Amino acid sequence: MQQCITQYSGLVWSIASRYLKNHTCVEDVVQETFTDLWKSANRYDPTVASESTFIGMLARRRAIDFVRKESRRPQFEPLPDAELLPYSPTEPTPFIRGESGDVVAAIKDLSEETRQIFFLHFDEGMTHPEISEKTGLPLGTVKTRLRRGLIEVRNKLRHAESGEAAQPSISINS
Amino acid sequence: MNDHDIQNRFEELEAGRILGDLDAEEIKEWEILSRDPRCKRDFSLELTAAAVEAEFLQSRQSELPQNLKEKLRTGITDFVVPEPVKVDSLPAWRRILSAPQFAWGIAATFAILLVAKTFFQEPQSVQPVPLAGVALPPAEAKSQLMRKASDLKESDFGGLTDYGKMTGKVIWSDALQEGYMTLTNLPVNDPAVKQYQLWIVDPKRDEKPVDGGVFDIPATGTVVVPIRNPVAVSDPKAFVITMEQPGGVVVSKQQVVVAIAKAS
Repeated sequence: MQQCITQYSGLVWSIASRYLKNHTCVEDVVQETFTDLWKSANRYDPTVASESTFIGMLARRRAIDFVRKESRRPQFEPLPDAELLPYSPTEPTPFIRGESGDVVAAIKDLSEETRQIFFLHFDEGMTHPEISEKTGLPLGTVKTRLRRGLIEVRNKLRHAESGEAAQPSISINS
Repeated sequence: MNDHDIQNRFEELEAGRILGDLDAEEIKEWEILSRDPRCKRDFSLELTAAAVEAEFLQSRQSELPQNLKEKLRTGITDFVVPEPVKVDSLPAWRRILSAPQFAWGIAATFAILLVAKTFFQEPQSVQPVPLAGVALPPAEAKSQLMRKASDLKESDFGGLTDYGKMTGKVIWSDALQEGYMTLTNLPVNDPAVKQYQLWIVDPKRDEKPVDGGVFDIPATGTVVVPIRNPVAVSDPKAFVITMEQPGGVVVSKQQVVVAIAKAS
């Protein structure tokens, strides 16, 4: 566990900081994420996701849940407990190891416009309205590009990691 | 729509859920589709989002503050015996899973959770449980903020109506997004009946005040309460304390306004 803290605490801290601006809240999320790790350790399946992807997912969930709770927006459904991994409600999760090279390649394959939106959202931490204002694209287009871009990256990662033909379920250009 | 279209629509909504951008109508649609047996769910999109995020953040990963690192390590080493040697070739996760103490660790889950709970009950980390005020002497965190912040703003609280005897100060740093209230003579509340809630007035962000967190006053005297703003606040014009139902409210009717601190 000590090694996990050493190796991944920077990642967890960065993810929490992206979603939360308050220093104290970020600390809470970091602590809760590592507690989640303890609870979920025996459920982790390295054939489904790499360590950094799995830990990144836990940190992301914690941070998003924290923002939802704090802003007290209506909740539609809590994210499923991390300890349920890799068991999914209806389907086994295909492996998304998220190796760096594969992720970079998948992002590079996105259209220029979607890549730019990905950069602004995931790297700069911009909200959808901020992206819309910066790019001049309608808000609905920003949402659609992000969602479909995520699905496209997922499909490409499946393809890269399984060797199977990618099955894009939604046209990115529509 | 045929089954394929329905699955596509569900995937798009699922992506929106993971990205946190569903609107109210889409949330209803997602709820319906998530119960539809034709819609298949797995964790692949969520894992993808995490992998993409980690990739982008890789270049800007910052170091965990030393005090937090120590806190994590101390909390964990209380329960972990030294790992066996010759496991260096295994990934960190494999090491956890294969370590003999891991079996013990599972058995001791409750104990670990107790430690975690202890952690979270410390003054700076009590959410999502409502904040309890931190009895003086002033919290170390507040002192630290006063030492390190170069843009600290300070305002005085003035109690209203029944809370006229109440006094207090609020300090806030835009740069660090951190602040504390020091409150004196605020009546002790019963959290099961009513709770105090802080609101931050930031006209640049929203016309409605931003929720600054629910808190309790557990004892008479002076308490320090950290401000918890889940969203960034810049140049707040006022801080308002109201009395609300347990757990707080999304929008305050301001039926009981306890105190106001206006920025100077």
